[in-house]
Amino acid sequence: MKAERRWRSWRPAAGPLFGLAAVLALFAVDPELRAIFFSGSNAKLVLTQTVIVAVGALGMTLVIVSGGIDLSAGSVVALTGVVAASLLVAAVPPVLVVILTLAAGALIGFVNGSIIAWGRMIPFIVTLGMMGVARGLAKWLGNNQTVNPADNSLNLLMEPRQPLQFFPLPPGVWLAAGLAAAMAVVMSRTIFGRQVFAIGSNEEAARLCGIPVRRRKIAIYALAGLFFGMSGLLQYSRLTQGDPTVAFGLELEIIAAVVIGGASLNGGSGSIVGSVIGALIMAVLKSGSGQLNWPTYMQEIVIGAVIVLAVGLDRLREWRTGR
Amino acid sequence: MKHYGWLLLAALWAAGCGAPVDEAAEGEPAALRIAVIPKGTTHEFWRSVEAGARKAEQESGGRIRVFWKGPLREDDRDQQIQVVEQFMAQRVAGIVLAPLDSQALVRPVATARKAGIPTVIIDSGLQSDQLVSFVATDNFKGGEMAGTYLAELMGGKGQAILLRYAVGSASTEQREAGFLNALQAWPEIRLISSDQYAGPTRETAYQASQNLLHRFGREVEGIFCVNENSTIGMTKALREIGRAAGQVKLVGFDAGSQSIKDLKNGDVQGLIVQDPLRMGYEGVKTLVRYLDGGVVDERIDTGVTLVTESNLEDPDVRPLLYPPLERYLP
Repeated sequence: MKAERRWRSWRPAAGPLFGLAAVLALFAVDPELRAIFFSGSNAKLVLTQTVIVAVGALGMTLVIVSGGIDLSAGSVVALTGVVAASLLVAAVPPVLVVILTLAAGALIGFVNGSIIAWGRMIPFIVTLGMMGVARGLAKWLGNNQTVNPADNSLNLLMEPRQPLQFFPLPPGVWLAAGLAAAMAVVMSRTIFGRQVFAIGSNEEAARLCGIPVRRRKIAIYALAGLFFGMSGLLQYSRLTQGDPTVAFGLELEIIAAVVIGGASLNGGSGSIVGSVIGALIMAVLKSGSGQLNWPTYMQEIVIGAVIVLAVGLDRLREWRTGR
Repeated sequence: MKHYGWLLLAALWAAGCGAPVDEAAEGEPAALRIAVIPKGTTHEFWRSVEAGARKAEQESGGRIRVFWKGPLREDDRDQQIQVVEQFMAQRVAGIVLAPLDSQALVRPVATARKAGIPTVIIDSGLQSDQLVSFVATDNFKGGEMAGTYLAELMGGKGQAILLRYAVGSASTEQREAGFLNALQAWPEIRLISSDQYAGPTRETAYQASQNLLHRFGREVEGIFCVNENSTIGMTKALREIGRAAGQVKLVGFDAGSQSIKDLKNGDVQGLIVQDPLRMGYEGVKTLVRYLDGGVVDERIDTGVTLVTESNLEDPDVRPLLYPPLERYLP
């Protein structure tokens, strides 16, 4: 029984996991690359490059499973990064900076959720608007420039201290892993998590069952905003500066990770583990194709094709197993 | 399904880790692998930098191999960091980098250094003490050169305008400072505007120029524009109000095909040009010299040249305007 339950919770991740293995196999063919690519130092690099998308994908999974979408993710990452940098410039203690930055992200999400829930507007439009608003706010706050604080402890979040070995991993990687584990539990084991699935599967039915759909939606977008704020903090730490133009188009990468991870844009399905693996697949692809010295346009073409292929194969598998 | 996935993963990783690492063929020493990372890949300027790097590669007779790769999207700092990290993972011998930002690229360069990979910075500065050398145009000198030449053209007196580029851009701010410094020696030249910015594109530069000339177009006698787009935009705006062709003396910076045309037909009196090909060449050469244990200068100036209508066909000036790209690029 227990084994079966475990199997059930892993099953949605099987497709993405297979995809990851396939992508890794692709880079294992060339012996010269294999030696470099499958090393502890490179694994650390790939993980470090994954976390910003992966943490964003945690929030995006929540939104997409509930049948929504959040296009403001990239802009919120830029905005919260600038918020963090500006607070650090103003000599606010780092702990408070973290709290306020996450709060800023959650506030944007709260506004998104409130307009969607109470204004009865579709998420695509509302968050498209917020994408512009948040980007503009970031530029206003940064006075159209990057914001450069002095050296501080938040810079260590993404610092690859010993570049030649796997450990120690940057704290940001552990943080992302912890958050992913927590969210996986929330999504599959809590009432809130099941309600998110219920809203995404059939909103009307969920409402008739007594789920407070509006309040849940606001919570979903606010929580997603919190994760984007976390990504923003990590992005700040990676650049060691607040850059209002960073993370342009990041929302699409995050959505791609979630979709590769097995979520449906119609809502009602998706998994945290899958989304994280989706983010890993894209990071591995980027890193591997970079190290094969493919020209940049080839990378773009291949990554685009892989997104469609991965999702296509997953749908085919579902169809054949009769789901 | 799940088990296959994990097994495959584990097997792959194990296979990878067990593979032999040395790739050098016996007897023959492996080529020095040098990564050259520009700010972007599409602009003409960077094509010249690549040509310079390739020139160094070709001259080495197979001793060095140059890997050329820019950020996936231009002007994206995070992407450029990723490129640096990828080359670090590939264990290249050294990196030649044109940093998109003087701050954001500090840590990647320091991390590479820790991994035993030295970096030579080209084109734009980096606020770091971890670099081998800084190979770039002396922009202050370029600005001074423009100021002196413009003052001479104006006969040492009259009203001048400085059109700036953008706040926070180090290279153009140095040109502006150099220009202002040179004008100190000419007390009879009065600067009637020095607080306007051309902005990032040809269109924004054109608009800023139109606005400036609307206000000062009748009185101004000399103008300095600090980059290519602003030079082109200002020339166009001067033509519109009928004060081009030398009525207002115009000195610009950098040479693209349009500004060379404007120089030839007399609308622009002088252009200060850099030598990006030499920047790429010297960047690679300096790095190799350092890797060989030689002594390198902390700062290498790749030179600025004043191009006027009279010297633009000179044999040492022509290659600056029309760099021999096809000789070095694949």
